[in-house]
Amino acid sequence: MTAAKLLRHETILAVLTVIALAVLASLSDKFFTTENLLNQGRLMSEVGLVALAMTFVIVTGGIDLSVGSILGLTAILLGVFWKNLGLPLPMAMLAAVACGTFAGWMNGFIITRFRVPPLIATLATLALYRGLAEGISEARSVRGYPEWFFFFGQGEVLGVPFQVWLLGIATVVAAVILGFTPFGRATYAIGANETAARFSGIRVNATKLWIYTAAGFLSALAAVVFVSRVTTTRSDMGTGLELDVITGVVLGGTSIFGGRGTIIGTVLGLILIQALKNGLSLSGVKGDGTIVVIGLVLIGAILAGALFDKNRGG
Amino acid sequence: MRPDGTADAARGRADTFPIALRSVSKSFAGIKVVTSVSFDMRPGEVHALMGENGAGKSTLIKIMAGLHQADEGEIVVNGKVVKFASPRDAHAAGIATVHQELLLFPELTVAENIFLGQTPKTSLGTVDWQTMRRRARELLDSLDSGDLDIDQKVANLSVGNRQRIEIARALAQDARVLIMDEPTAALAEADVQRLMSIVRNLCARGVAIVYVSHRMPEIFALAHRVTVLRDGHHVATKPVSEVDESQLVSMMVGRAIDRLYPAKQGTDGGVLLELRDVSHRSVVRNISFQVKRGEILGLAGLVGSGRTETALTIFGITPATSGEILIDGKAQTITSPEAARDLGIAYVPEDRGSQGLIKAQSIEDNVALANLKRLMRGFLVDAARVTEEAKNAITRFGIRARGPQQLVRQLSGGNQQKVVLGKWLATNPRILIMDEPTRGIDVGAKAEIHLLMRKLAGEGMAILMISSELPEVLGMSDRVLVMNSGRIVGEFDKQHATAEAVGTVMTKTYSDGEAA
Amino acid sequence: MSAASPAIGRTNLHRFLSGYGQEIVVLMSIVALFVVVGAINPRFLSDNNINSIFAGNAYIAIAAIGMSMIIMAGHIDVSVGALIGVIATIAGSLAVAGYPIWVAWTVPILFSMAVNSGVGALVAYTRIPSIVVTLGMLSILKGGLISATAGAWITDMPAEFMIAQMRPFGIPSAVYFMVGLTIVAALFMRYTDFGRAIYAVGGNMEAARAAGINPERTVVGVFALHGFFAGVAGILFATQLQVIQSTVPPNLELTVITASVIGGVSILGGTGTVIGSTLAAILFACIGSALIFLNVSAYWLRAVLGLMILATVLADMARRRRAK
Repeated sequence: MTAAKLLRHETILAVLTVIALAVLASLSDKFFTTENLLNQGRLMSEVGLVALAMTFVIVTGGIDLSVGSILGLTAILLGVFWKNLGLPLPMAMLAAVACGTFAGWMNGFIITRFRVPPLIATLATLALYRGLAEGISEARSVRGYPEWFFFFGQGEVLGVPFQVWLLGIATVVAAVILGFTPFGRATYAIGANETAARFSGIRVNATKLWIYTAAGFLSALAAVVFVSRVTTTRSDMGTGLELDVITGVVLGGTSIFGGRGTIIGTVLGLILIQALKNGLSLSGVKGDGTIVVIGLVLIGAILAGALFDKNRGG
Repeated sequence: MRPDGTADAARGRADTFPIALRSVSKSFAGIKVVTSVSFDMRPGEVHALMGENGAGKSTLIKIMAGLHQADEGEIVVNGKVVKFASPRDAHAAGIATVHQELLLFPELTVAENIFLGQTPKTSLGTVDWQTMRRRARELLDSLDSGDLDIDQKVANLSVGNRQRIEIARALAQDARVLIMDEPTAALAEADVQRLMSIVRNLCARGVAIVYVSHRMPEIFALAHRVTVLRDGHHVATKPVSEVDESQLVSMMVGRAIDRLYPAKQGTDGGVLLELRDVSHRSVVRNISFQVKRGEILGLAGLVGSGRTETALTIFGITPATSGEILIDGKAQTITSPEAARDLGIAYVPEDRGSQGLIKAQSIEDNVALANLKRLMRGFLVDAARVTEEAKNAITRFGIRARGPQQLVRQLSGGNQQKVVLGKWLATNPRILIMDEPTRGIDVGAKAEIHLLMRKLAGEGMAILMISSELPEVLGMSDRVLVMNSGRIVGEFDKQHATAEAVGTVMTKTYSDGEAA
Repeated sequence: MSAASPAIGRTNLHRFLSGYGQEIVVLMSIVALFVVVGAINPRFLSDNNINSIFAGNAYIAIAAIGMSMIIMAGHIDVSVGALIGVIATIAGSLAVAGYPIWVAWTVPILFSMAVNSGVGALVAYTRIPSIVVTLGMLSILKGGLISATAGAWITDMPAEFMIAQMRPFGIPSAVYFMVGLTIVAALFMRYTDFGRAIYAVGGNMEAARAAGINPERTVVGVFALHGFFAGVAGILFATQLQVIQSTVPPNLELTVITASVIGGVSILGGTGTVIGSTLAAILFACIGSALIFLNVSAYWLRAVLGLMILATVLADMARRRRAK
C-alpha cells in the first residue's frame, strides 16, 4: 500500500510518457526507429547518470548544484593528466575520476561538518570547481585522443551504445540501493525527519557524505563518457547540467523537501524530457522551443502534484 | 505587599473583568480536555493557573489567546460576550501571550521586534525609527530593563532578555491581560528574580496576569488567587492566602496514587547501568547513579533541570564531556545513538513528533528504522520480515491501526507512542530510557503503557523514567532521583517519595554555589 | 543621563559595526584592492578602467538588489539571468521596430514585473518551492528566447535608445542607475512597512503572520519588485553594447546570487542589506579587472570567486554558531 502510494506519481508520469511517445510517434515517422531511440539513449546518458545520484541527494532534502562543474573539472583534469602530465590514458582516466569523486566528497564534508545549507555550499563549489577547470585549462581544449578511448562515448556492445549499458546498470544498482537496502531506508528517513532518523541510530552524516561523494563519482563518470562522445575536452563542459538534472529528478516525483522520490520516477522523468526534446524537434518545432515545453511540464507536474496532495488532506 | 484593594474593588462587578470564561468546554478527537471550566481575571491581579500536565491548562490559555475556539461556553470581555476566531481578535481585546517558544525575529533589533506590525510612522508614512527607538527605550526602562540595548539583534540575546522583549511587545499593544505560560521554565535564577519584579510592576499598572507555573515559591510570592484544574475540570479557585503548598498539591493530584499504578513484580538484579561523575558542558553536571536489572528509576525535576539532557548524554546524542558510563560494570564510550543502541540502550524520546517518529512514513517503516541491521537478507532489507516485525509490535502492544502500512501521522497519540516503543523494544534493549512516556496520551493508553513498563522491568530490564507528572513518578518508580539545575539534588526510596518531599526539592531554587 | 552619553556614543559605533560588518569588510576589500593593485600597476586607476569596472557591471549590481530582497524573504530565483536576456531582446526589438524610445524602455520592465509576480503568486499560494518554479521559468524563458530569435543578433538600434552609453557630466549613466537604485532600495527596505515586512517574513513567517503581516502578499510583492530591478538591469544590459546577442548570459544568475550572498544576505533569510550586494558586485568586477592588470590569467577569476563565497559562508556559519 505504501509502495502503491509512492508510485502514484510515477504512474501518472508513466501514462504521460506513453501518451507523449504515442503523439510524437504519430507526428514523425522517424521518431519510433531503433536507431533514433538508441541515439536518444546515448544523448541522455550523461544527464541520466548524474540524475541517479541527484535523486538520493534530493530525497535527503539536499541539493547539489555543483555537478555540472564537477563534470567540467573532471573532463579538464582528464586532458591535463594525459596530455600535460604524460600519464597513460587509463591512469589519467582513473585519476580524473578520483578527483571528481573527491570534489563530491568535499561537498558532503562542507555540508555535514560545518552545517552549511546544501544549496549555498554547492553554489560556492559550483563556482570553485568551474573556476578550477577554467584556470587549469586556460580555455585550451585537448584533442587527439586515441581511437580506443572513443568506445565509451561512441562504441556499441551488442548493438546498444556503451553508455546506455552503463546507465542501465547504474540505474538498476541505484534503484536497488534506494528501494531495498538499509542505506536507502536511511536516505528516506533523513529526508523525512532528520532528527528522528538520528534518534533511531541512523548514521545521518555518514549517509549524507556517501551520497554527495556518489554524486561526484557519477558526475566524473559522465565526464569521461562526455569527452569520449565529443572527442574533445573543454572547460565549459557540463555548464547548466545541474538544471537539466534537477528538472528530471523533480519531474520524476522526488519532493524537493525530501523524504519522497524513486529511481523509476527519475528515469521516467528523464525519458519524458528526452522524448519531448527529440520528438518536438523531429516534428519541426524549432530547436529550443522544446525547452519551453519542458519548463511548462515541470511546473505543471509539480503544481498537479501539490494540488493532488492538498485534496488528499495530507 | 499585595494590592488586594484593587482586586476587592473589582470583585462582583463583572463588567470590569478584562476577561472571564463561563463554563467553557473543549474536545479534541472526541476526548474532552476541558469540561465546563469558569475562570475570571480582575485588573491588576496575578492569577495562578495550576494543574498537572494534561489537566487542561494549556488548552484553557489557548482558548483565551484565540488559538483554540471553545466548543461550549462563552468568553466575556468587559461585560460583553465575544468570540475569538484568531489570535488577532484576542489581541484586539487586549489579551497578549508571552510564549514559551518565543515568537520573535532573531535578525531584527530589539526595538523593531517590540513594534513590528504597528510601527510608528512619520508624516510621510515611513517608519519613524527615532520615535520607535525612543518608545522602545521608555517601555524597557519602565520594565526596569534599562540595560537592554534596543539596537541589539535579538539573536544575540539570552532567553530572559527575549522574554522581556515579548512583555514589552504586549505592553506596546496596550494589553490588559497577559498570559505567561511557564515563564520561568528556561530562566536562570537572576532572571527569575527580575521577572518577578517585572510582574509586580505590571500589576501595579493594572495589567492582569494569568500565571502558569509549577514552581510553588513563585506562586506564593506573586499570586493573589490560584485556580487548580484536574483532568479538565475546575477544582477550586482560592485566594493564595487561604491555601498552603500541600493543599495545592493534593488538589492537583486529587486521587490515591498507588491504586492506579501496577505493583512491582519480582526483585532487583545486579547493577546494569552506572554513571560516575558524568557531565555534558554545563547542562549535565557530575551525575552519578546506578540502575539495577528489574528496577524502574524515576528522574524527577522541572523542565530545564537537566533530566532530558542526562538521557541524551547516556544515549550518545550529546556525548559526555567528562565522567564514565558503565554498562555491566564495564566503562563504555558512547558517542552516537547507534553505539548506544548496539550496547543495548533504547531511548523513547520526549518529543514524539520530531524525535521519535517519522510521521510521513508507515508503522512498519518506523519500526524497522532502528532494526535495519537485524532485518536484512544479504545486502537487502527483508520486506517480509519488516512487515512481520511491525505486525508483532501491533499485536504485542495493542496498537490500534489498520495494518503495518498505515501512516503513523494518522494514529492517535497513544498509538504513536506505542509505535515508538515497538521500534525500540524490537532492538531487544537491556536498558530502556523513557522520557515523558505518557505525555499527551489518554488515560486508557496511559495505564497500558504503565503496565507494560512494569512487565518489562519484571523481565529484567533496567528502566530510567523521566516524567514531569509527579503522580507518575511517585506511582511508577522504585526509586526517585530529583534533578535541579543540572545536578542530582535528592534521592528517595519508594517509602519516602511523597509528593511534598519530592516537590519541595524539585522547586527549590539553588544558587550556583549551593548546588555545587 | 549625562553620564550615559559616552556610553551611547560607543554603542552607536558598535551598533554600526555589528549591523554592517559584512558591508564594511567588502568595502575595505575594494579599497585595499585599489590601493594595492594601483600601486603595482597605475593603469588600473585610469579613468577608463574605473569607468569600465563600474559601468560594465552596474546591471549585475542592480539585479543583485532585487535578488537580495528575494533571498531576504527566504526565497531564491535561478531564472534571473534568462529573464535579463529576454528583457534585453524585447527592448532591442521594440527599439529597432521603431516604437517610441520610452516604450522600448518601459514595456520590458513591466513585462518583467508581470512575469515575476506570476512566479511569486505560484510560490506564495501553492507553496511550490521557489527553486522549482524558477527552474521551470528558466527553461521557459531561455527556450522562448532562443526559439523566438533563432539566435539572431539585434543591431542598428537608434542612438537615443542606448541609455547605458550616455554620459551625463562625464560619468556613464549606468553608474547613476546603480548608485541611485541602491540608495532608493536601501531607504525603501529601512523606512517602509513593506521593506520591514520582507525581513519579518524571511526571518520568521509564523511570527510575521501573528504580527498582522500577510506573508503571501509580501512574497508576491517582493517578486514583483525583483522583476522591476531585473527589468532595469535588462535595459542596461541591452544598451551597453552596439549589439544584443539574444542569448542568455551564461551563469549570470549565479553571479547575481553570489553578489547577494557575499554582500551579507544570509541564504537562510531574514537578514542582509542591498548596499552589501551592490558593493559585492563592484568587488567582483574589481577582482576581475585586477587579475588582468596583475598579469594573472583571468581564467582564475571564477576560482577566486568560488573560494571567496566558500570562505564567506563558512565564516557566516561560524558566527551563527557562536551567537548561539
